[in-house]
Amino acid sequence: MPLEPFAQSETLTFGVELELQLVSLSDFDLAAASPDLLHLLNRKPFPGNVTPEITESMIEINSSVHSRYGPLLAQLQEIRDTLVAGADRLNIGMCGGGTHPFQHWSERKIFEKPRFQELSSLYGYLAKQFTVFGQHVHIGCASGDDALFLLHSLSRYIPHFIALSASSPYVQGHDSLFESARLNSVFAFPMSGRAPFLLNWREFNEVFFAKMERTGIIRSMKDFYWDIRPKPEYGTIELRVCDTPLTVERAAALAAYLQALCRHLLERREAAPAEDDYLVYNYNRFQACRFGLDGMVTLPKTYQNVLLRDDILATLKLMEPHAEALESTAALRHLRQAVHGGSDATWLRSQYSDEGSPEGMVHAAIRRFRGE
Amino acid sequence: MPDLLTILTNLSWPVAITLAWLAGEFGQRLTGLPRISFYGLVGFVLASTQLGALPPPDAGPILALADVAFGLILFELGYRINVRWFATNPWLAVSGLAEALGTFAAVYFTAVALGTQQLTALMLASLAMSTSPATVVRIVNEQRSSGQVTERVLHLSAFNSLLAVFAFNLVLGFWIFHTANNLTSAVLDTVVRLLLSVVLGAVFGVVVPAMLRQLGNMAHDATVLFAIAIILLVSITFTSGLSAVAAALAFGLMARHRRVAFSQAQRNFGVLGELLTVLLFVYAASSLDWRKVAAGGVLALAVVGVRLVVKTLGVTVFARLSGITWRKGALTGLALTPVSVFVILLLEHARQRGVVMLDELRAMAAVTMLLEVFGPIIIQRALIWAREAPEQNHAA
Repeated sequence: MPLEPFAQSETLTFGVELELQLVSLSDFDLAAASPDLLHLLNRKPFPGNVTPEITESMIEINSSVHSRYGPLLAQLQEIRDTLVAGADRLNIGMCGGGTHPFQHWSERKIFEKPRFQELSSLYGYLAKQFTVFGQHVHIGCASGDDALFLLHSLSRYIPHFIALSASSPYVQGHDSLFESARLNSVFAFPMSGRAPFLLNWREFNEVFFAKMERTGIIRSMKDFYWDIRPKPEYGTIELRVCDTPLTVERAAALAAYLQALCRHLLERREAAPAEDDYLVYNYNRFQACRFGLDGMVTLPKTYQNVLLRDDILATLKLMEPHAEALESTAALRHLRQAVHGGSDATWLRSQYSDEGSPEGMVHAAIRRFRGE
Repeated sequence: MPDLLTILTNLSWPVAITLAWLAGEFGQRLTGLPRISFYGLVGFVLASTQLGALPPPDAGPILALADVAFGLILFELGYRINVRWFATNPWLAVSGLAEALGTFAAVYFTAVALGTQQLTALMLASLAMSTSPATVVRIVNEQRSSGQVTERVLHLSAFNSLLAVFAFNLVLGFWIFHTANNLTSAVLDTVVRLLLSVVLGAVFGVVVPAMLRQLGNMAHDATVLFAIAIILLVSITFTSGLSAVAAALAFGLMARHRRVAFSQAQRNFGVLGELLTVLLFVYAASSLDWRKVAAGGVLALAVVGVRLVVKTLGVTVFARLSGITWRKGALTGLALTPVSVFVILLLEHARQRGVVMLDELRAMAAVTMLLEVFGPIIIQRALIWAREAPEQNHAA
């Protein structure tokens, strides 16, 4: 079955999805709390949308479709407040962050349960590590061709979003030394990575997708774990590299940055995207994951080496007129402060050393999510 | 060379623990029922008054070990209690008060109606309020359950146990001072003792985490230091006549709020906790005399029934208001059924203080025996029906 036709949506409208951690307030480990929380939330109308995830210790929320940063931020804050009030009534902690810093439960299960051991021997450590939490941003596109153009033009900016959202330094109780260790878990899956370099929607759909479908490996777009992928039924492209930030304010700012970038790219004043842009892609991506804002990236068109922090600041400056047009200058200001003040990952590390334990760090992340 | 009888007597406890552990492991594997139910059964069967394999319970080292085992469990329970939750969700506190006070009243009137003396009925009623923290913590850990029923059973069990300790000591105070006609000092004595116990536990809760911080590398050292601290705390409370229950709970609560790593690997206090749990449940059941259990008869059954109904109702009525479904509310109430170790240790220590009233409380012995075996099964089922225990744990 070929993909459905690319739905038309209003250009530059946007929406945010966030995967959030549900944490026990006793030991700060992940807690299977989503059924109870969803029951409570379903009693009243919810701003936006909330859905369960396969793991009961995860909850996914998404905003409505917006065209402006202000209403998006307001809605995300309203969602946050509703969630927090519900979680308080049920003694559940809720926080952002791309990984939970320690997950003894999975270790214990593997240690004690023969059946889990079989599963784990099939998937190896992937199975153990795949409980990760991301932010997805959708951008509305007028056509499939526009979507593919944006998708490939954005490849140069992927490291920006990785570094600005990075909030997963700890994995399985240890400092991974990565700013975003979460992406390593995603990248390990076979259908992850980048989309093939195609700029024509018909060719993408009728040739590439049709062939892939015949191989039997994939059945729908959902089987691709690409960093950015088209979502034809919504008429959007979906950026998937961001860790869930520790605050919804950061999440909204990241979405606004992406919106401004897309407005800029759609003016088509930059050099057109090319397959060769991807020569530096994986290495830049690694630099962003590993070193965050301090990573060194190689620009795809000039092969110039620049500090990611400088590249982001320069791009933020370039985006100012677009942000003005889109009423999102406050979002860019937020990100500029983040570039100077350090990422969420840096903040988490400092909490670890202040609080003296990973539990203390999770507790701090819970307070930060609440806006305390 | 010591004679054979001495050798056998000396061996009785190690053998009993081995048997109980084996029964627990095989029983759990074959039936999917909780291990502690089997520990209790073995302890009861081997008790001095039944098969006579175990010596009669006394204030010896086994009672001290049982106290430490219970202290460890109470500490862990305290560590899992979020006091602030009762404030952010006042309906939870209301349901806790309703089920505990409701149980007190219902059991008291039932006992009096069945011809029990007033003071005995009061004592029975105060003991019946409590939900065995040991059983709750044990089953929650064994099932690795998580969810609202789990959380609420833990919180309500801590709450009603404290209420029970308070009420029991109050009644005990009356009992002791009744002869001296000094009731005010009974109340005062109880309140002061409990407060002192809480303060002592809280001091431990500040000092021990501070020491751990100094040591650094908490993941490795936490379990041992906490265990040692609890042994110390329990011993201090008993030599000074304070409440080990209140102190150990307060210790756990305080340590929790100091946010010191007490990681999941150390749930149940690891191997030490596992071992002492076997001993605790065997000991508790071995102190029960089948004659008293049998004599408890009708009253015991009535108390078990009334308690089950009132606790379930008390929690269910406020379920929606406190943010959960009727179903989960009812299951929470049901899961509050277990009585065991807690009551036995309270009685045993009352006996050590020279209060001979075990005979008059034989109904409680029967209640305890019934629920020592069935309590764990009921709470295990409640957690499974609430879908809070992972599927593969049911009979694995």
